[in-house]
Amino acid sequence: MIEAPVRIPPAAILPESRLSGPERFRRWRQRNRQAIEAWVLMLPLLLYFSLFFLFPFVSSFLISFVKWAGMGPPPVWVGLTNYVRWLTDLYYLQAFANTALFAVAILLLQTSIAILVALMLNTKVWGRGFYRTAWFIPGLTAASVMANIVGLFITPGTGIFSLMLTKLGLPDVIFYMRPDLMRMVIIVYSVWRGVGGGVILYLAALQSIHPEFYEAARVDGANRVQLLRYITVPLLAPMTLFVLVTGIIGTAQIFEAVQFLTKGGPQNQTNVLMFAIYQEAFSNGSLGMASSGAILLGLLLLVSSIINIRVMTKGRIQD
Amino acid sequence: MDRAVQLPTTSRTSRRKFPWGKVPLYVILIVSSLIMLYPLLVMVLGSMGSNDDYINNPNLPIPYHFSIAYYQLIMTPGATNQSGGLYAGVAKSQADFLRLVLNTLFRITWYLVITGYTSVVGGYVLSKLRWKGREGVFTYMLSSMTLPGIIYLIPTYVMMARWPLAGGNDIFGQGGSGFINQWPALLITGLVNVYFIFMFRQTMNAIPIDFEEAARVDGANTFQCLFNIYLPMLKPVFVVLFINTFVTLWNDYIWPLFVVSGNHDLMPVALGFQFLAMTAAAAAHLPPNLPPYGFQFTVGVLTVAPCILLFLFLQRYFVEGVQGFAIKG
Repeated sequence: MIEAPVRIPPAAILPESRLSGPERFRRWRQRNRQAIEAWVLMLPLLLYFSLFFLFPFVSSFLISFVKWAGMGPPPVWVGLTNYVRWLTDLYYLQAFANTALFAVAILLLQTSIAILVALMLNTKVWGRGFYRTAWFIPGLTAASVMANIVGLFITPGTGIFSLMLTKLGLPDVIFYMRPDLMRMVIIVYSVWRGVGGGVILYLAALQSIHPEFYEAARVDGANRVQLLRYITVPLLAPMTLFVLVTGIIGTAQIFEAVQFLTKGGPQNQTNVLMFAIYQEAFSNGSLGMASSGAILLGLLLLVSSIINIRVMTKGRIQD
Repeated sequence: MDRAVQLPTTSRTSRRKFPWGKVPLYVILIVSSLIMLYPLLVMVLGSMGSNDDYINNPNLPIPYHFSIAYYQLIMTPGATNQSGGLYAGVAKSQADFLRLVLNTLFRITWYLVITGYTSVVGGYVLSKLRWKGREGVFTYMLSSMTLPGIIYLIPTYVMMARWPLAGGNDIFGQGGSGFINQWPALLITGLVNVYFIFMFRQTMNAIPIDFEEAARVDGANTFQCLFNIYLPMLKPVFVVLFINTFVTLWNDYIWPLFVVSGNHDLMPVALGFQFLAMTAAAAAHLPPNLPPYGFQFTVGVLTVAPCILLFLFLQRYFVEGVQGFAIKG
């Protein structure tokens, strides 16, 4: 590191101990310029960051062991009771099961559709920009707003599905009373919103495959299916691993779709962890339950989060 | 994107041989794209016709009675919060579209300025300055991402509610409601964004130190280096930061739902829109038994449009943002 040239004052040749105070300070400052600047710039950031990281981090665990509404009577230590309730009460277990079901179903559908669409878009087709835009746009919409609009589609009597059934002469279906159908609606809606990012990722992955691989294989007499099977699929595998592992973090926190479409109903059949946590905190006034639920969800996603950071810092998908 | 675009074969051959083999591909692509756009299409069409247009033909509400009355009413400042009657309770809550938009834009601007500063400074300090503890600080910040964000949600809410000496709280944070239903709750969390700092650090790592050294020889100080040398080179990263911040905050629903549900004056668009359709319908004196479809669609269009327009203008950067600087290394 080259410093700006400074005129060396005569005092510089004197030993340090014989210098005056200000001069010694000036030299010290010059020697440690980078460290001083780093700490001056970084300290406010670090203090702020610690306040909003360490404090919630520690209190999250503390709150999860108490019974507390957030205001009113002081917290009461209840030990592991909150956790035990999450893991034994059927109501909460249902939320776990639904979250797992939604997360896995959404992720698998989303990823497989994204691969197929990316493969199609990677060919020489006219109007690629339009298709890509059409697939990407749903992900930019507010989940809360569009869930509201989708709610209109399944309204009995005037919704699209009701109309189609009536046209076919079939009896109308009341979506809100059918857990299986509402689950499907939630999954389809979430896939609709979430698939675009995957398409873009896979397109990038496909375009980063060197064309020489294909040329070499073609020279060796490989047909198109073989090209796909022996070149494209293996080269997409790391990306797929990445998309699946990190995608679960997002899909497991599904919330808006449930809040706007079902509120967890009918009979708790579509309840998910995020919605249960929200209800514990604000409807049931139990921050302890909410916090312990959040911690359980966080622990379930721990492995994904760690892999996510590894990918971020290592800058590659496989080690 | 360009690799698949190859030079076309001569026009004569392409005219002679129609690519029949590609027809299924086109059918699939076009149909699937239309399906993806369908909910948005219904929303746009439904917002321009009358309620009857929608009820008569909900699967494709072609606006026979075309009007932009819904837009006019919703966009008129104050129009939606002066009504009485059935929705008086809601109407008093001032779910006013312009207000929601201004709230959201204010919040976005605030976060752009502050996180822009913290990210670029954090990235610079962690990338270009040599100091003891650099790796330690970096690891410390990254470690916050080990646990999913959901874990911080409840305690941060409690922190807002129990903030000392705010909203009637005493010095121990008891007695009042803290920052709940107040502006700070929407403005003071997440101002140091580890992901953005990381993004800036990675990009700055790729910029040689020579530029800065040359400037220092000419007598530039740290801030001059940062602003005159690095900032211009970091423009693409800033665009990604801008897009991420804008889309995330514009669509932000959960945190505002937690902290400002009780105050319509502070709500951002994605949270406040639920009340808009109702208040607008009341202001237009629609019969209360008729769901205000037109207003719901109009509010939907207005809420969704900004992010989509942003995408259409800044497509390249959106793609970059999704791919992440991380994956490219």
